Amino acid sequence: MSRLGVDIGNVSLKSPLILASGTCNFGHELSEYYDLSILGGLSSKGLTIRPRVGNEGVRVAETACGMLNSVGLQNPGVDYFIEHDLDYMRSLGTGVIVNVAGHSFDDYMAMIDKLDPHKDKIDALEINLSCPNVKAGCMSIGSDPEQIREIVSAMRKRTELPLWIKLTPNVTDIKATALAAQSAGADAVVLINTMLGMVIDIRTRRPVLHNNTGGYSGPGIKPVAVRMVAECSAVLDIPVIGCGGIMDYKDVIEFMIAGASAVEIGTASLVHPACPVDITRDLEDYCNVNNILIKELTGTLNIW
Amino acid sequence: MNKEFTCTIVSRRMISEDTAYLTISCPEIASSAIPGQFVNVSCSRFLKRPFGIAHTDTSNGTFDIGIKIVGDGTKELSDVSEGDTLNVLGPLGNGFDLSCADRFILVSGGTGVFPVNFAYEKLTESGKDVTLVQGFRDASQALMMREGAIITTDAGDLGIKGTCIAGLDTVDVSEGTVVCCVGPVPMMKAVGEWATGKGLRCFISMEQRMACGVGICLVCVCKIKAEEEGKPFEHVRCCKDGPVFDYKEIIL
Repeated sequence: MSRLGVDIGNVSLKSPLILASGTCNFGHELSEYYDLSILGGLSSKGLTIRPRVGNEGVRVAETACGMLNSVGLQNPGVDYFIEHDLDYMRSLGTGVIVNVAGHSFDDYMAMIDKLDPHKDKIDALEINLSCPNVKAGCMSIGSDPEQIREIVSAMRKRTELPLWIKLTPNVTDIKATALAAQSAGADAVVLINTMLGMVIDIRTRRPVLHNNTGGYSGPGIKPVAVRMVAECSAVLDIPVIGCGGIMDYKDVIEFMIAGASAVEIGTASLVHPACPVDITRDLEDYCNVNNILIKELTGTLNIW
Repeated sequence: MNKEFTCTIVSRRMISEDTAYLTISCPEIASSAIPGQFVNVSCSRFLKRPFGIAHTDTSNGTFDIGIKIVGDGTKELSDVSEGDTLNVLGPLGNGFDLSCADRFILVSGGTGVFPVNFAYEKLTESGKDVTLVQGFRDASQALMMREGAIITTDAGDLGIKGTCIAGLDTVDVSEGTVVCCVGPVPMMKAVGEWATGKGLRCFISMEQRMACGVGICLVCVCKIKAEEEGKPFEHVRCCKDGPVFDYKEIIL
């Protein structure tokens, strides 16, 4: 029996590894590199009620330990997704997580109403209250505990699908936003989305990104993410899914010790598309050598 | 399944002051790559760097890339030694459809000389009628010049003085010829307009700041005309839907 199985509330996943939204599209491209059924799940590209073309101009800026993106939620819209991609995701033999984004309360409700009829094909909805690259909604909602409570409790009334709330690190107190999600009926929180950053071209004295700012991801943000997972898991009763700069199996273990029940791999897939194959093998080896189930690691942090 | 290859550098030489040329061992890429495709190569910086494939040698299982030094990553990759290994993803992208016609005009500018060289070799191998126009800024920038090619330089110190349009204007055009062009955007626009004016189809290869190279991150988008009426444009991925696009579909 595999030692990698984990539970996120009522959702059982065969592995703690989930592909993060926005770094795997809907699975088509990465399935050319490895069998995605080794994963615990795949979180779709962030979807909105209408198609979005995303931001114009340069959308990526490299940093020493990662990158900034300002894609701006380019996606084909939820109707197209349901018609063309959902069945494909279901066929991959892995957990199907649908990432839901919006610009307003009404947008998020409309999204839930579109997706709920397809609940037999969906394992969880990941509610993106944290995209830093769109002008309205998302991060501005997700940095205010009161708005989180309002939006999540309204979603809770509309669907029985598990609601995983993906939160932004661009707040003073991540515990406050995580607790707001929990009190509103969330089934899990996902920590963290990208950090707001800027890279400047010193030759032109202009930001590299034509959106001026973008979301910073990659190994540079991992310590921030681990800290937030540790802080939140200490005060939450619902599971935490860790995300931010995971590149190898040691990073996964670090997040789980901090309190994560599962993790998301994002930017690493952009550099090494098949990295989950190696991480899975290394996690199995680690569990075998230490004779543990991976879920036993969750929250084993001994703070000073 | 596609995979990331660990490849050995077979040879490395500088072909101009700021451009290196590498021959890399990878039988899988050598046997499957088509002209217009690229590889994404790891360096010590965070992201990989994309390079158009310049040549393949299936009997030796190697492919070649040209590296123009534009920053730290390309500097490092230009400095590799024979016997070093690099992590390489590829071949990536759609490439040129060289079966769509029997007569081609190939036009290169800047680092476009590398993918165009690969197309030129494949077309001449298959016995097709091909005219090659190679545009350079000046003689010091002239690389990979092929015998029989029409050479143009902006400075006029080699070949025809002027842009590659001056070279194209010397070509006798026949109906059904397809133009393939790789170079800076203003040049591709000029070539696209020239071809359109002659009633010829034209394909161009786009370059954008890229991250994954495999179509999952959506950072390297180009604009194409939208099919839907009233919509100004659509974004498509340079790395996966391109880099080769029909000139009449792309918005430059």
